[in-house]
Amino acid sequence: MLDEPYRYLEAVSNRRDYVEDQLRQGSPIVSLQYDDGILLLTIGRGQRKIYEIHNHIVLAAIGHTADIERLRLLATDAASVQGFQSSVDDVTLHRLTNFLLAPTIKREFETIFSSPIIAKMLLVELGGVQRESQFISLNYDGTTQVDQRTGVLAGNEEIESAMRANLSDISQNLSLQAAFELALETWAIGRHHSLQDNNNNQDDEDDGDEDVIEKKQLREAVQEAREQGEIEVGILDVSRRSKSKFCLLPTTETDAMLESARDKL
Amino acid sequence: MTVPSGDFLDLLKTHGYEFHFDSSGLERVSKEANLELTEGTTVVAVRYKDGVMIAGDRRATAGNTVMYDRADKVLELDEYSIIAVAGSPAIAYEIARTLEHSFQYFRRSQLQELSLEGKLRMLSRLIRENFPMAMQGAGVIPILAIYDLQSGDDGDGKIFFYDALGAQFEVSDFATSGSGSVWIRGVLYHLNRWGKIPLAKMNENQAITNIMKLLETASEYDAATGGYNSRSAIFPTIKTITRNGIADLQTEKLRQVYEKSVEVKFA
Repeated sequence: MLDEPYRYLEAVSNRRDYVEDQLRQGSPIVSLQYDDGILLLTIGRGQRKIYEIHNHIVLAAIGHTADIERLRLLATDAASVQGFQSSVDDVTLHRLTNFLLAPTIKREFETIFSSPIIAKMLLVELGGVQRESQFISLNYDGTTQVDQRTGVLAGNEEIESAMRANLSDISQNLSLQAAFELALETWAIGRHHSLQDNNNNQDDEDDGDEDVIEKKQLREAVQEAREQGEIEVGILDVSRRSKSKFCLLPTTETDAMLESARDKL
Repeated sequence: MTVPSGDFLDLLKTHGYEFHFDSSGLERVSKEANLELTEGTTVVAVRYKDGVMIAGDRRATAGNTVMYDRADKVLELDEYSIIAVAGSPAIAYEIARTLEHSFQYFRRSQLQELSLEGKLRMLSRLIRENFPMAMQGAGVIPILAIYDLQSGDDGDGKIFFYDALGAQFEVSDFATSGSGSVWIRGVLYHLNRWGKIPLAKMNENQAITNIMKLLETASEYDAATGGYNSRSAIFPTIKTITRNGIADLQTEKLRQVYEKSVEVKFA
């Protein structure tokens, strides 16, 4: 039956609806550059979402844990072997994404008799001497979007657009604290839209998007999320002495940064 | 279904890499080709007040020939682990590189640091796998220094040394390895037992002074151990591991300590 073209398209479309529905409530992820590197931020519910792939490459994801783990290990294995057998300089985000992850995800998405991968990813590469930093969003169907300065990940394209808009006039020189504050605000915007999207679906009526979100609503979104989980912040920092430039900031540090940001959010 | 082990060597094997290779006949071939294997020389580690100080001279020799005078035998494995290698540099560097990548791979794949015991066993395994090469003259006897954050309230510096078959021993105060080590092992014992203060209570400057004196002593009696060359800025590699991680002691600092406390100038 599926060898009929329109049946195939219908099956793919159904698959798309199913995956998007599964991803809708994923906690947003924000990434942006600051003076000494790149910051990634999210608020999770106990499940870690930001992962080190190699010295200068990080992966963040929303979706089903088992699918994320499988893809994360695939990327980690490939990067580790290449880094050992050749050089860290040969481990690039372009190669990992375009030659490994994107084809794998696309193939599984289009194999309609097997279960789809329920995951969206944001891959970030810290620039080097002859390489710009890169942010690549990898969708559940294998399509990619490349950016040089920021990256966002959320349940659907509308939420991501709202988050991108908040990062559109980002200044060139941000301290880590300023980057944290902007990332948290952007996360809260994403979360707010995500909850609104959910309410609209439940009520089955569209109240119309609010163009201006009040600070109070953003504070509430952060507060509510923090009651269920912790702020997770990973950084790729060029000033780190070790070969790996990645570290997850300890809770004590994120709490202190949040305290400093309290007046601004 | 098996749980991923986080074992980097197993992963490499699936990509065709083997750490050890068939070394049978190496001794015969090297004799026929009149080939001398390059070798490393003297390394030393002492526990001092803040953690562990670990050092090595810079010379690499092949028979009577000095191959290189800027060799680095003190290699960082991760933020709290250093290996100091004496023996064949080719094997030593491969062991250090394999360990470094193995620790990183475990952390990245398993989302937790490899335990202290896991790190020690990994090094034992690599030395044991290299045993056939060691029997052909291409052996490595390393010292592993680790700052163990889990030990006590503030963590503790630890020193381990190995035999050619990979047996591991923890020492309480110091360890030394390489061809020059026979000349300074007794001096270390003497310093620790009857010196003004025990090694473990020395501050950083006192530890640097003693280590530089020890390495100069080794270079005086062992042709395969390099001495200091102040004119060419060739000083030993010295690193510390403390609660704050690893730090390099810069050449200028070593030069100052050398000129003040090690070099004896006669009027």
